[in-house]
Amino acid sequence: MNFQIIGMDFICSVKGWFRSKGGMFWSLAFPVILILLFGAIFSGVGSSKYTLYVQDKDHTTMSQQFVGILLKTGVLDIKNLSADVNITAYIKEKNIKSVLVIPHGTSNQINQSFIDPTAKVNLTFYFDPSEQTQTQVIRTIIASVIQQLNKDLTSRRDVIGLTDISTITENFNFIDFFLPGMIGFTIMQGAIYGSIERNTKYRKDGILRKLLTTPITRTEWILAKMLFMMFLAGITTALITIIGILVFSMTVNITPLVIIILVATSFLFSGMGMLIGRFVKEEETADTAAGAISFPMMFLAGTFFPLEQMPAFLQTIAHLLPLYYVNEGLRNAMIYMNQSEALINGAVVIIFAAVFFFAGVLLTKWKED
Amino acid sequence: MIEQKFKCPNCGEIASFSGNPGEQMMASCASCGAKGRLTMPMHTQPNGYAIEVSHLKKVYGDLIAVDDISFAVKTGEVFAFLGPNGAGKTTTVEMIESIRQPTAGSITLLGDDIKTGFNGIKERIGILPQEFHSFERLTVKETLLYFSKLYKKRADVDEIIKALDLTAQKNMLYRNLSGGLKQRVGVAISLVNDPDIIFLDEPTTGLDPKARREVWGVIADLRKKGKTVFLTTHYMEEAEFLADHIAVIFKGKIIAEGSLEDLIRRYGKSSVLHIKNCKNSAEVVKMLQEEGFEEATTEGNGDIAIKIDHKERVLEILSHLRHDCIDYDSIDIRRSNLEEVFLRLTGSKLMEEAP
Repeated sequence: MNFQIIGMDFICSVKGWFRSKGGMFWSLAFPVILILLFGAIFSGVGSSKYTLYVQDKDHTTMSQQFVGILLKTGVLDIKNLSADVNITAYIKEKNIKSVLVIPHGTSNQINQSFIDPTAKVNLTFYFDPSEQTQTQVIRTIIASVIQQLNKDLTSRRDVIGLTDISTITENFNFIDFFLPGMIGFTIMQGAIYGSIERNTKYRKDGILRKLLTTPITRTEWILAKMLFMMFLAGITTALITIIGILVFSMTVNITPLVIIILVATSFLFSGMGMLIGRFVKEEETADTAAGAISFPMMFLAGTFFPLEQMPAFLQTIAHLLPLYYVNEGLRNAMIYMNQSEALINGAVVIIFAAVFFFAGVLLTKWKED
Repeated sequence: MIEQKFKCPNCGEIASFSGNPGEQMMASCASCGAKGRLTMPMHTQPNGYAIEVSHLKKVYGDLIAVDDISFAVKTGEVFAFLGPNGAGKTTTVEMIESIRQPTAGSITLLGDDIKTGFNGIKERIGILPQEFHSFERLTVKETLLYFSKLYKKRADVDEIIKALDLTAQKNMLYRNLSGGLKQRVGVAISLVNDPDIIFLDEPTTGLDPKARREVWGVIADLRKKGKTVFLTTHYMEEAEFLADHIAVIFKGKIIAEGSLEDLIRRYGKSSVLHIKNCKNSAEVVKMLQEEGFEEATTEGNGDIAIKIDHKERVLEILSHLRHDCIDYDSIDIRRSNLEEVFLRLTGSKLMEEAP
């Protein structure tokens, strides 16, 4: 391995990028436009049906009737949790966004309220603040049902209350969910398109044939290109993060783990792009091939929408996609500060990166048929 | 250090000189004292051949692109691989450059079989692929430095720039160069490792006549420096101008091979002498026919054409014209060229295939 050659190729790529004013502008403008646009659009959008987990610790006719009323609103998809489940652990483990806990003794307290005006019961609503739209809708529904019940039971005295518990300590909104996805997506987009286009252009221009007859090895060349993609990934991440902080007042944490995930991500998608580029012969089809891979992955991997809003089979597919682990890893590491989850996601990304790098080295070819 | 024998152009004395491959030196003849510049040849193989191709074949499905061809290129010569588009030129050169895998046959470069020793050979060859375009946004100098750094053996990039007359453009981006300059940079790239063999695949395709001449000048200089040049082209005049040795490839087969003179002698027509704007041309033709030039004819406008079998006959005609005080504007001799050779060769080939 000749690191001088790798470094020299990397520097030449960077020079070329800086000199392509149009290319440089659009590769930076694209994520900026997307984050501003999507950030503005999707912050106010909700879905038609929302999942609410209910833990009925009271387990009485009255509590069941209450759940029945929630179900009858037609907006909630109720899933029951057994009374012995540890809610905090369960929410973390299953990544659940909204849970309503009906405490033991609820019906007793309500019955008591007819004779004791101080009797009161509090239901608890656990919610994920990063799902701002979704959780707000669910909370409003629960609050309305409670309000109506209070009115019917005690003529507006608040016998039943609602306590909110955020499942994450900080307050999050959609842009917090969106920003890491945007970073992952931009790196993927740049690396896949860049690799495929470079491969087809260099093949057409005879550069690959020329390199084949020089002492540079494919491993050195692929490493140099991945290094360049890493450089671009660094710039776009910085740009998106700065916009997140300045425009959307976000709190973003850049930890060593975030850096590792970013490096692995750029390696991963450069390798994937090179593999696809191996089979794309014409320059004209390069864009189509890149789009055919990156766009479905973008939507399926939870870049713009939470996976929970998708059908179960699509959620299963998402778990097979590398971008899903990139998105989740970055979210956990940069925003939610859930380092243990981020580590797992990061490890998966590193494994994917290693697989695609070696596949890129082994399966790409410069030789002609 | 290598030793090479040179023949004195003045007295014909043969003497041995030593030097490094490709080195140029001033020497004087021990016999007559004449002085001259010598260029030592590049690495000479024991048998004197830089490239040896034997029974090379390339088949794509039903198509035989290259059909069992064999040839050898001597060290220090410009070898032109001439043929029309689709004849198998690029397929052949790319098999020699190890870019394509041959279906059958063997290739030796500088004495090493490319199947086993190509990685070692890479340092000693320079290649300009067909329709090559370098990195758009690197300058000429940066481009040459990029490719130079890929090799252990490196030529001085500034010297290459100077030699190829690219000094004025060295800081220009490659994308802003004209077609001719791009091809010149392509040739320059193939020289960054000071190679022994240079492969130039259609180096002047698509260039205007001026740019083509510029590239020819560069290739002619390489020959002077003792480099072995393997050139593929479909331009007859390019092969005529540059090549020491020409192989004509047609439909995957080599149909003729030799020096330009060999090919013209074997396959060309006789030369024709033209007397321009001759007064009383009909009478002059009659006179020439009586003198034994039976094939002398008038071509209208007072021009006369006479087929020449031997160059001595030219002097005889001039002598008759002078003796009879014939008035004319000018004379020229049109030699048979490669174009005619090729047409004759491919024409006869096509006739053989006819039922």
